[in-house]
Amino acid sequence: MNHLLYLHARAARQAALTLLRQPLGSLLSLLMLALALSLPLGLYLTVQSLANWGSRLATTPQITLFMEAAADSTDLQATAQTLKQHALVAHSQFVPRDEALKALMARNKLEGLTEGLGENPLPDAFVITPKDMPPEALERLHKELSGLTMVESAQFDAGWAKKLFSLIQLGQQLTVVLACVFGGALVLITFNTIRLQVLARRDEIEVSKLIGATNSFIRRPFMYYALYQGALAALLAWAGSMWLIAMANPAIAELARLYNEGAALRPLSLSEGGLLLLVAGVLTTLGARLATGQLLRQMEAD
Amino acid sequence: MSMIQFDQVTKSYPGGIEAIKNLSFRVNKGEMVFLAGHSGAGKSTLLKLIAGIERATTGNVLVNGQNVSALRAAQLPYLRQHIGLVFQDHKILFDRSVFENVMLPLDIIGFDRKESVKRVRAALDKVGLLKREKANPIGLSGGEQQRLCIARAVVHRPAILLADEPTGNLDRAYSLDIMELFRSFNQVGVTVVVSAHDEILMADYGQRIIRLAHGQFAT
Repeated sequence: MNHLLYLHARAARQAALTLLRQPLGSLLSLLMLALALSLPLGLYLTVQSLANWGSRLATTPQITLFMEAAADSTDLQATAQTLKQHALVAHSQFVPRDEALKALMARNKLEGLTEGLGENPLPDAFVITPKDMPPEALERLHKELSGLTMVESAQFDAGWAKKLFSLIQLGQQLTVVLACVFGGALVLITFNTIRLQVLARRDEIEVSKLIGATNSFIRRPFMYYALYQGALAALLAWAGSMWLIAMANPAIAELARLYNEGAALRPLSLSEGGLLLLVAGVLTTLGARLATGQLLRQMEAD
Repeated sequence: MSMIQFDQVTKSYPGGIEAIKNLSFRVNKGEMVFLAGHSGAGKSTLLKLIAGIERATTGNVLVNGQNVSALRAAQLPYLRQHIGLVFQDHKILFDRSVFENVMLPLDIIGFDRKESVKRVRAALDKVGLLKREKANPIGLSGGEQQRLCIARAVVHRPAILLADEPTGNLDRAYSLDIMELFRSFNQVGVTVVVSAHDEILMADYGQRIIRLAHGQFAT
């Protein structure tokens, strides 16, 4: 066991030396790997930020019931009772017309408006928070509530939320596809890099095999090299994404401010970054394993 | 007790060429044996069969009780780690120093670095190349390269030392030096098999000589 650890430590050291001894070649393949990682990573972060922002807006949709002007306190009480007992309504709040007017004036600094209006034009209203449900069920609830007696209208702007959600879903699917494609690219790039390295050291490998090297002994330094490259590429892509976000966020914040929204691209979390490192390392090591396996079989056949 | 044992071994290559024909013999533990014969007699093939570089077509090759012809590919490295090989064409790596060349078998076995350095120096000292340890082997003469190859073959203290024509291109004085080296390894208990086509050289040592011709014992 100790012996195996020792052999691994030696291979890891040897791989690190190879990395440092060929700085240009290592850097080039490193950049290639980092690029392949950056594309799906960038899309992932964009979609995630969008989803995050969208869910803040729309996962708790509210339906506003506007009562008819003729509705009296008995009607209001009956409606309140219906809403309270409704199975799909999580919470409802009564907004009297006077309060609504006061809030409107306060929000828009329109003092003195009442004088001009004479009478309060606003209706009484209920603000309803439905329970968690799919958009189609929300739609049905919306219809049902607009049919209640003495209800003038029920306002529920679901259309844009649905569009946003389907857009986010499309983005998420695209991210998965792109991640698979570029994951494959990661394996192929490493396969090629390691293949060239093995071929360059063919003599050494043949002599080593003649004097008792096992296949795993021969493979190990190459696999460590690939692992380092994968991990470094992941770190590079991670750092690159952080830099891009730092560059883009002021502009995004500016844009969002125009719509009275706070929006920003979020960076990778620590655990997501760890996962990125792990996946990149596994894929590049896999590429190295395939390349060395293929070449060793070929050498044995010769 | 026999270290190497051939039981009715035949090795044929594609095209029906039989390099070894139905050969049976034993080499005892600690023995030193010469293989004699013209080139093409099957000497190299016989040595390759012992090291598992080639596999017998029929018959069994036993090395230290292990049936080499039945070993799986994954087990061969462990057999070879107990064998020292001196190649006809040296197989020295020119991308590293003399010292690093001799270090290779110890790296493969996974020796502790400090112990390895001592052993490499001892092996280089034994073949008279200690002063050249930092040199690139490309600058060594043919004889020196041969001795480097011997140092690499013995540095991990194998039980068996196989040498294929180690004196092939060397003059007589140099050849005697090399043979003397093999004898000194044999004296510390290593089983040695050396092939050569120069029988005069072997006669001086009074060891057993296996003479081959066309893959069989020469009569």
